[in-house]
Amino acid sequence: MAAATLTAARPRARARTSLPVLLAGLVAADLAISVVSLSVSGAHLPLWAAVQAAFGTHNAYSTVVTQSVLPRVLLCWLVGAALGVSGGVIQGVIRNPLASPDVIGISKGAAVGAALIILVFPAASANLIPAGAFAGGILAFFVLYFLAHKKGVTPVRLALTGVAVAAVGDALIRFLLIRWPANINQALVWMVGSLYGRGPSAVVGILPWVAVLLPAVLYFARRLDVLGLGDDLASGLGERVELTRFVTLLLAVVLASAAASVAGAITFVGLMAPHIARRLAGGKHLRYLPLAALIGATLMLVADTLGRGIDPPLDIPAGLITAFIGGPYFLYLLVKAVR
Amino acid sequence: MAARTLTRRASRPCSSAATHHVTTAVVVALGLALLVAGAIWDLGIGASGMSPGAVLHALAGPASSISHQIVWTIRVPRVLLAAIVGGTMAVAGVIMQGTAANPLAAPDIVGVSAGAALVGVAGTVIFAGLGGTALVLASIGGAAAAAFCVIGIAGAGQGRTGPARLALAGVTVTAMLLALTQALLLLHQTGTAGVFFWLVGGVNFASWQDIHTIAPWAAAGMAGAMLLARPLNILALGEDTARGLGLKVTRTRILGVLCTVCLAGSAVAVAGPVAFVGLIVPHIVRLLVGTNHLVLIPVSGLCGAALVTLADVACRYVQFPFETPTGVVTALLGTPFFIYLARSQARRTR
Repeated sequence: MAAATLTAARPRARARTSLPVLLAGLVAADLAISVVSLSVSGAHLPLWAAVQAAFGTHNAYSTVVTQSVLPRVLLCWLVGAALGVSGGVIQGVIRNPLASPDVIGISKGAAVGAALIILVFPAASANLIPAGAFAGGILAFFVLYFLAHKKGVTPVRLALTGVAVAAVGDALIRFLLIRWPANINQALVWMVGSLYGRGPSAVVGILPWVAVLLPAVLYFARRLDVLGLGDDLASGLGERVELTRFVTLLLAVVLASAAASVAGAITFVGLMAPHIARRLAGGKHLRYLPLAALIGATLMLVADTLGRGIDPPLDIPAGLITAFIGGPYFLYLLVKAVR
Repeated sequence: MAARTLTRRASRPCSSAATHHVTTAVVVALGLALLVAGAIWDLGIGASGMSPGAVLHALAGPASSISHQIVWTIRVPRVLLAAIVGGTMAVAGVIMQGTAANPLAAPDIVGVSAGAALVGVAGTVIFAGLGGTALVLASIGGAAAAAFCVIGIAGAGQGRTGPARLALAGVTVTAMLLALTQALLLLHQTGTAGVFFWLVGGVNFASWQDIHTIAPWAAAGMAGAMLLARPLNILALGEDTARGLGLKVTRTRILGVLCTVCLAGSAVAVAGPVAFVGLIVPHIVRLLVGTNHLVLIPVSGLCGAALVTLADVACRYVQFPFETPTGVVTALLGTPFFIYLARSQARRTR
């Protein structure tokens, strides 16, 4: 019953390894990268001492590790998981493997919100930037839903209207950047997405959203499978299609907006993570969404660690590195599809 | 011969043939009037304002007068470039929509503008001093790479690309190119604001040099577009029918994409990605004059020129005496139209 169209589109994508093994392997890989990541900072920290400091032993590196490095590692897990799951849900609801929070305008909405605070109200407290981004993302979703609504929404209309909403956001950002150019570089870094300078308060800001919404999304996993069968069949099976679509999309959008509020408009994680997860575990949402969360975390960990480590003390924004990884991955998909 | 009659009949349903002729004449007259009025208005705006009469007088006046100097060296190139960029972008949109048989195909959506813009920024930031024809060639290369990427992704494995697939593939590739552009800007933080101005697209700082750079490419692209008009009319009958009528479909498509990237790439190299002209103009013109490319292409060119010239007039009032890029105005005009189009497209594909 739950053979989603996403699997049907790619019949070879069968689970080759059992799910617990995959989950355990990914958790282990993420933990390993996290440990390495702890020792990468503006100044190189000794690995063991950094790990000890992270677990509460007081030593010379405690301040750096607990105030700067450890929060970033935790944020990578949370942001990556949020983006990966959000992308998976959006791809499932829109029934298109190319959809993602950045494509349907959610990240652009968040970027408009943040750019508005950064550029127009530069004197405002820095705490307002995450709030602006969060509000922008949610607002973009409601605009999208309203514009796409005409006796209900269809996946195609959601996708196309989402692209249009993203274009509107782009135009607004351009206007803001040209009209109030004083803080243009800060706004640019934010729009690419970076964890630079994020401390424990950012972790506290996003943790509740992820802790509540990830289980909520998994609760809807079976219904997402049913939605994947197409509107007619799904409603024939007793699913309230419109309601499920709205609720699951809203969950995904809140996750993406929460991620954007702490990390900026990170691209390609929400596109790539669910793709890889489906290749590993097949198209059932209950199976691949947890994997997508872990793969999202992996991508973020790799990107942020590289960003800190490539050319210290320069902190290359993580969003640039995810785009550099995501671009070739996308081209690889293209080449594979052409064959 | 058979192909010709068939195209005629298909493109001009018999009942509306006469009305189309009348509307076409009205649209052409209106477009010309708007273009001329916009141009004269635009020529009059600046640090020293001039009335329309004074503009005409300065244009024809003695070469020694100051107003003659101002108009001919600063303002005429700007207006001329606005018209050329508008015309090339609009025609690029017509050809791309005809080639992809997809109403959402436009230089902005298919990543052509973003590809050319990335190369343009690289040319300014990394290879400082890359300009003129070299930059145009590089931009056309970037535009072509992006276009083939998007069309390849959207069309891979499927007979025909639906508008949703094309739009999603276009946005994703555009996002990738935009990220690369931003990477360049962040890693070379000198002159970011200036580059950003260019990235929005505008004719604000046009010079005669720009006109000389773009003119041959625009002319070649327009000629290519007119040569493609008949094949595109046949292609509009459907791929199978076109093949049956002896059209080399793949060759026509490749030539169409090349023509588009030549037009849009050269426009972006000189003026930056002026948004949405290639999407809006062909749609409106098609509604008015019908689907015959022999008419559609020149009329779209004319209306695109008029639109960007008027947008350039409008952008000067946003924060006079400071400059606002022309692209901001076209983007704000274009996005509501894009939303409308997305809604109606989705209805049709449903």
